[in-house]
Amino acid sequence: MSEWTRTRKMQRSLVYDRLATYGFYGLGILVLLLIFWLLLTILGKGLPGLSLEFLMKLPEDMDPGGGIGPVLFNSFYILILSLLISVPIGVGAGIYMAEYAPPNKFTEVLRICVESLSSVPSIVFGMLGLAIFAEYFQIGLTILGGAVSLAFLNLPMLARVTEEAVRAVQNDVKNASYALGMTKFQCIRTVVIPMAMQGIVTGICLVAGRAFGESAVILLTAGLSTSGEMWDFNLFSPGETLAVHLWYVQSEAIVEDARQIADKSAAVLVIVVLMMNLLFRIPLWISNRRLKK
Amino acid sequence: MKLFKKLTLAAVTSLVAVTTLVGSASAASGISGKITINGSTALLPLTLQAAKEFQKINPKVRISASGKGSVTGPQAVKKGIADIGACDWDASMDVPGFKAFEGQVANKVAVIPFATVTNKNVKVNNLTTEQLKGIFSGKITNWKEVGGDDADIVVITRAFGSGTRVNYQAKALAGGDIVKKAKNYKEVGSSGDMKTAVSTTPNAIGYIDLVYVNSDIKALSYNGVQPTTDNVINGSYKIWAYGYYMTKGQPTGATKAFIEYVQSAKFQQGSLKKLKFIPISAMR
Amino acid sequence: MSTPVQQYVPKERQVLTPPAKRRRFSRSARVRFTNRLFTYYFWFSILALCLVLGLVIFFIGKTAFLTFRDISFADFFLSFNWTPEEEHYGAAAFIINTLSLTALTLALAVPVSVGLAVLIAEIAPGWLKNAMRPILDLLVGVPSIVYGYLGLTVLIPFLRRLSGENLGDGLLAAALVLALMVLPTICRISDDAISAVPKKYREAAYAMGSTRLQVMMRVVIPAAGRGIIAAVIMGMTRAIGETMAVVMVIGNTAQLAKSLFTPASVLTSNIVMQISNVEFDSTWNYALHMMAFLLLIISFVLILFIRYLGRKGREQA
Repeated sequence: MSEWTRTRKMQRSLVYDRLATYGFYGLGILVLLLIFWLLLTILGKGLPGLSLEFLMKLPEDMDPGGGIGPVLFNSFYILILSLLISVPIGVGAGIYMAEYAPPNKFTEVLRICVESLSSVPSIVFGMLGLAIFAEYFQIGLTILGGAVSLAFLNLPMLARVTEEAVRAVQNDVKNASYALGMTKFQCIRTVVIPMAMQGIVTGICLVAGRAFGESAVILLTAGLSTSGEMWDFNLFSPGETLAVHLWYVQSEAIVEDARQIADKSAAVLVIVVLMMNLLFRIPLWISNRRLKK
Repeated sequence: MKLFKKLTLAAVTSLVAVTTLVGSASAASGISGKITINGSTALLPLTLQAAKEFQKINPKVRISASGKGSVTGPQAVKKGIADIGACDWDASMDVPGFKAFEGQVANKVAVIPFATVTNKNVKVNNLTTEQLKGIFSGKITNWKEVGGDDADIVVITRAFGSGTRVNYQAKALAGGDIVKKAKNYKEVGSSGDMKTAVSTTPNAIGYIDLVYVNSDIKALSYNGVQPTTDNVINGSYKIWAYGYYMTKGQPTGATKAFIEYVQSAKFQQGSLKKLKFIPISAMR
Repeated sequence: MSTPVQQYVPKERQVLTPPAKRRRFSRSARVRFTNRLFTYYFWFSILALCLVLGLVIFFIGKTAFLTFRDISFADFFLSFNWTPEEEHYGAAAFIINTLSLTALTLALAVPVSVGLAVLIAEIAPGWLKNAMRPILDLLVGVPSIVYGYLGLTVLIPFLRRLSGENLGDGLLAAALVLALMVLPTICRISDDAISAVPKKYREAAYAMGSTRLQVMMRVVIPAAGRGIIAAVIMGMTRAIGETMAVVMVIGNTAQLAKSLFTPASVLTSNIVMQISNVEFDSTWNYALHMMAFLLLIISFVLILFIRYLGRKGREQA
């Protein structure tokens, strides 16, 4: 476009555009700085003292130098169990809401109910879990109870994120697949889910990260103690997780190095979440790359 | 997906079967069973340490412990969720704010001393019962009035119903009230938060179990007596209380053995002392 | 968007299959079978979700409504006096504080997170995109008590210096911590919504000579509106329900927050602080459950309100 055709209005638009771009970058840099400062404080305090021994040793209540071995193991164990329960159901419910549910008032109310459910404080889910597992089934504080309660907590969020991701898939693509004579499920499996995968993975990442850091639910349903040995796969053992241990160490423990253990545990939590994200995302990147080729 | 579900279901059921089998098989020999402990967080370090040692001697006993608040202990026992309810007061009797729990037995396990603490910038070193009552009821609002600098007193307290608060009110404030104020008043949820809040807030005053006191905060004398273990034992420092394990009726089986272990001289003189609690036998 | 034609999709029995090929284990039979199977599976999932939903509502509601055996509706909702030790159960202050805290948090978090989402989805080069997304996800995984601890030891002393107050605890501290906590949730979900806007919309707008800002404000954001609203709602509900961090920085004093630095208490923080210290069969416990139930209702209403705003905004655009 040559100079003389630029009206004043266009000139203004261009200036605004430039300013907005700077603005957005400024904002991004600001937030990134904040995040880096945050990570630096958490990791900077915790990383230096971190050793393999700390990751594998049993926690101590009396002498300094306790580790987080069984606690860390329980964290993973409970997380995986709860994801095994919540992901199939949550994703299924999300697909149902997006693809099958009739667009009527009932669906709408259900959707809002599911959304409001995430504003129930997690401690209430903990109390629900306590009422179900400790009081009704009489199995006490167990890994199983913790995992199921955690799945309850995560279901609504997972269902909603999946629904949004599935809805974002364009109708054209779906119509094209129906035109090829696909059944509804074939279309969902081969077209909708692959296209919505990025959103669904975001949902799982958000949920998994939150579940990994959740303490109130586990505290009430899985307890604050471990069975005292590593690699205890028994579903009925007490299952203190790393986040609960962090809470305990920060608020009640009286060992001398409580502060250091808390710092180190926080650092471990953050690192694990980072690795979990990568683990979920790498397959996605690879498949994306393959699609682009 | 479906197959996978069936597999998990099968795995879970078989696991259940195996554990019940193992559980019932081991019931025949020695002390065995399952003990669930809930309640006071202040006693938790002690409970966890005792559980670890006890399980080493009796490998067939499985102990799971958790903590939320003192009153949770006797309540969980009442509901049958827990076998032992750790509580910072004798829950078989009425205390201000809580009714007695009928049919429960209080087993003393430790002596817990408490201390009045302030931020390190506070110049005052000693407070009397009357001065403390004035501060926590909101009548005294400036450190000047108790011999300190001219600065507002920031009161930090535990939530109503916390074991520490119940005992502190009964012993240090002689039953006096802790009154909510519009400003310069804050409630915290745990001993750790209390420590952090007092150590980071200038002119703050609070109270905490003596074991948590370290160089970050300053422990004040009470009526001229320093809060030390020795002063508690010789009877001159009055702010202390027993920690209790509440049970439904007299304890039996594994629960009984566990409580006896905690009360044994070996544990009381060993780990319990190391954890900076005071053995019950030291008190007259 | 183009016409949805799903409703014209042939029912499974009508799928075109030459009769000659209809053997029992033919491909089409298998396809039809899995189709039916998974329809049932999706049904089962939604039922499971409803079950959980019902269970939670029933569990809270059952205890909550016992409150009104002992105290009247008006006492609970209109009184500002919460001193359960003396049988006063007025929750009005908590309700108002919860609403103001939520509003403040969203006012801080939404512009920043949506702006950041736009940056990531539209402006930033590929490598930056790939770097920022996992970093944001990382923020979600930081446990809330770590946020609370940093708030207590870094943010509050800072606010204390800034304001000259003795404490520094209050709505502002809580809102700042919450804003940081919900930022990744809102940002990541809006980012996905913006990325999902079809490329042709943008191309059409650019072809008409729009600048990037115009494309974003007039085309992309309205087109992604539904997703962004979902993101805001999810961020909001998390902010309403968050406890462990809020408890450490808000001051936990049952009174109306008259300024940003008044130590106050919101519904969640009050529930968490007190629920472990009350007896099961007491009005106090019922009242706390009622407050949890109230949280559900408040977020229900707020979600309706945000939806309404969103719909109105889109009609105008």
